[in-house]
Amino acid sequence: MNKQMYDLCKWVLDAVGKAGAKDSRVGLSKSRLVEIQYRDKKPEIIKQATTLQMGIDLFVAGRYSSQNTCDLRKDALKEFISDAVSTTKLIAEDQYRTLPAPKYYKGRADIDLQIADASIDDLSAEQKHTIVKAAENAAWSAGGDKVVTVEAGFNDEFDESVTLTSNGFSGDTMSTNFSVGVSVSVRDDDNRRPIAYDYAECHFYKKLPNPETIGANAARKAIAKLGAKKIDTATLPIIIENQIAPRIIKGFFEALDGRNIYRKQSFLADKKGQKIGSDKFVLVDDPLILEGLGSRLYDGDGFAAKKRTIIEAGVLKDFYIDWYYSRKLGCEPTSGSTGNMIVPAGVRSVDEIIKDLGKGILVTDFLGGNSNPTTGDFSVGIFGQFFEGGKIVYPVSEMNIADNHLKFWHKLAECANDPWLYSEWRTPSMVFSDVVVSGV
Amino acid sequence: MDRIDRRAFLKATTAAGGAIIAAPVLFDGWLTFAGTEKAGYFEKEFGITDALCKKVLAEALSKGGDFADLYFEHTISNSLGLEDKKVDRAYTSVNLGVGIRTVKGDQVGYGFTQELTEKSMMAAAAMAATITNGSATPVAGKFTAVKTGDYYPLTGTKPVPLAPRLSLVENTAGKCFARSNYIIKTIARFGDGRKRIMVVTSDGAKAEDLLPGSALSAMVTVERDGRKEQFWFSRGGRRDFSYYTDDIAKEVADGVVDGAVTLLDAVAVPAGEIPVVFGPGFPGVLLHEAVGHGFEADFNRKKTSIYSTMMGQKVAEPMVTVVDDGTWPNARGSINFDDEGTPSQKTAIVEKGILKSYLHDRISAKYYGLSSTGNGRRENYANYPIPRMRNTYILPGPNKPQEIIESVKKGIYIQDVSNGQVNIGQGDFAFYVSQGRLIEDGKLGAPIKDVNIMGSGPKLLRDITMVADDLKLGWSGTSTCGKDGQSVPVDAGMPTVLVRSLTVGGTKKQGA
Repeated sequence: MNKQMYDLCKWVLDAVGKAGAKDSRVGLSKSRLVEIQYRDKKPEIIKQATTLQMGIDLFVAGRYSSQNTCDLRKDALKEFISDAVSTTKLIAEDQYRTLPAPKYYKGRADIDLQIADASIDDLSAEQKHTIVKAAENAAWSAGGDKVVTVEAGFNDEFDESVTLTSNGFSGDTMSTNFSVGVSVSVRDDDNRRPIAYDYAECHFYKKLPNPETIGANAARKAIAKLGAKKIDTATLPIIIENQIAPRIIKGFFEALDGRNIYRKQSFLADKKGQKIGSDKFVLVDDPLILEGLGSRLYDGDGFAAKKRTIIEAGVLKDFYIDWYYSRKLGCEPTSGSTGNMIVPAGVRSVDEIIKDLGKGILVTDFLGGNSNPTTGDFSVGIFGQFFEGGKIVYPVSEMNIADNHLKFWHKLAECANDPWLYSEWRTPSMVFSDVVVSGV
Repeated sequence: MDRIDRRAFLKATTAAGGAIIAAPVLFDGWLTFAGTEKAGYFEKEFGITDALCKKVLAEALSKGGDFADLYFEHTISNSLGLEDKKVDRAYTSVNLGVGIRTVKGDQVGYGFTQELTEKSMMAAAAMAATITNGSATPVAGKFTAVKTGDYYPLTGTKPVPLAPRLSLVENTAGKCFARSNYIIKTIARFGDGRKRIMVVTSDGAKAEDLLPGSALSAMVTVERDGRKEQFWFSRGGRRDFSYYTDDIAKEVADGVVDGAVTLLDAVAVPAGEIPVVFGPGFPGVLLHEAVGHGFEADFNRKKTSIYSTMMGQKVAEPMVTVVDDGTWPNARGSINFDDEGTPSQKTAIVEKGILKSYLHDRISAKYYGLSSTGNGRRENYANYPIPRMRNTYILPGPNKPQEIIESVKKGIYIQDVSNGQVNIGQGDFAFYVSQGRLIEDGKLGAPIKDVNIMGSGPKLLRDITMVADDLKLGWSGTSTCGKDGQSVPVDAGMPTVLVRSLTVGGTKKQGA
């Protein structure tokens, strides 16, 4: 634990108590980041900084407020706390606002999640520039004369946090993140300039894929978009590619949130234990995976992290209920925070599935769109590749899919064998049958 | 300055009716800046003198570069939330820091610090300087205040306490419940932020401002015969609290409740290409997505925008003029000067159908040999500025709204939009319709909702065939644009407009 950060949190916790707040939660986070971006073979952006942010949740005479500040001078903090406590006393009482019962803090896993790379400081600026150049050069090579411009970047970040509560919770985290991303713009015959990107993010520098692979992938994706057209409105099978699949799940996911359930803005509120999708629909939340980008030992309330099955064979098993909304809803809390969200992979590759389906659309990008958590209705723009006779035929653009989540997830026919592991959402490509795709 | 002294001073000077200091102060439960004067804040509160700025800028240019700039920011944001007919949560956020940028051509070195001390600023400046590797560039001998308009004057110098804000939120929620028996839940919120900024450039400009921003919003869920719908509505802008009268509370309550109740009758939307009429106001997001982003000059300088070869060409019919305007009084996207210190302006992007101007920051303006259009904006001190829109809209045209609706045999009418996105290079855009109507035989029909609409930007401009005379801005007070990981406040508007055809992402095949 960073002792300096701990000491400041403890000092604030004590100051809050002296200022008249019976209970409080104090969190301090510190981030050090480096961003290097190249465009067209020269540095475009070099950015480096360290940020500190303190959050204070106050529980004063049955009332609640939440405060954030980055002005951490003790004199300024003392004033800030005094002001915050005064303000909190003026708003309405809320009997449900308390710190969690300490029993939920217990049972924290005693493991090293392996999310901090001790070698982060060994990486020189020169090495970082070399990575970016390698990624960019690979994109230029793979893209050929169609390339208009290439942007490539490398980021690294070192994060620390400490959280304390007045009723005994103490937690700290330390993590590192490294990412490489490449964006490639190519020129189409009609002056359109499709852009595609590829990226990867990991806790450990050595686990990043080869930067040349990322650059070449971005170029390949951009070239694949050339000559895109809109096809007739039709009902077709679609395959949603692994990297973008979380977008469609998140629309569904909103309705699992205890806040939305309490606010009567959840189409899933009364569906626990019911079949809301096909047998293929499985969603597991595991915050304890080693090296996982969503790994953590405790959640926002301080509850010990646990693996949970949210959807099993299409049956809704669990919600995301934090401490506060559990009290308002009169139920046991689960957790208000996500960990690593896993849709288990299937056995066949996307190529095999395309051959088997014959005709359909491989969705590679979404555009715009939204999802209504109260009704489950959603509508979103898609780009991708039209396939016929088991082969990719041409790219499509400016098309759309729309449905209701309570119908859509019953159309999930298969998951491919290609889970995307460079995100806290570990999703494979997902196949849906009979989807209305709007076009001409 | 000690806090007790400051409070005592505030009390004394307010009572005397004299000038008050500008520092953050708790005024009967509401943390805010006490004063409204713009100049001198960072010097008075943090000792940021011209001499210190010059020293830091010299460090930023110690290895050369075209110019460097400093962006000081101190922001206080407050919000109140109501969930069960009472305001039972309050949030406050304070942000403070300085961003230091060194620019050479189109290359940027950037460092920032949350500590406004000479040591921290010099370290951040040294970081920014690493973008170049030459000999030092001189800094201007003195800094001259940038002359600008005042597009969001603040009324009075005395802060407004917490109590009337609590009443406003509760009053709004009360009006919601009173308007319909179908309401099963109301959420209301009032947010109010004030941002003090100072931009100092190595070529001698100094600009200081106090930017207000506030919004009153409500969300309701209604239920009838087992069917539930939700709707959200808000009003706001660069306003102080005097704007939030009982009439505004009523406008928000009526807007959100009527919107939600209407959706209880919404029908399935056709899928495919059909004519689309955009109603006046926030449907202007259409322009923001389909046109505005593609005209931001960084995308054109990098040749990634579909519009990068179209300057001076006819892109729309002559009745179409699209502007990006930073000067509309009290609009959410208005700025007195941008985050590089360039005075704000009203910029015609498309004038009578001809592409006239991109939206420039200093880097792109230099690239094109033009002056900045005052579009260099950033989310906060932790980010460097890039070309961003302000308030984007179409100027009024020759038609009447009714005439436009009557011209459509079968199509859809868009009343409200929640979000949008654009694919700059391909020109494809999308926006999400939260409320609209079918048009059948020239008349508005059943309500529709939750539909994504897509199109191609250049084709959309060509397909605008009618423009009415009823221009309105959105005024939601919450519209925010995201680009390169940075969010900035904007607004969008338009008069009633007919677009020949767009792809409507419905669930019902036409004719089915």
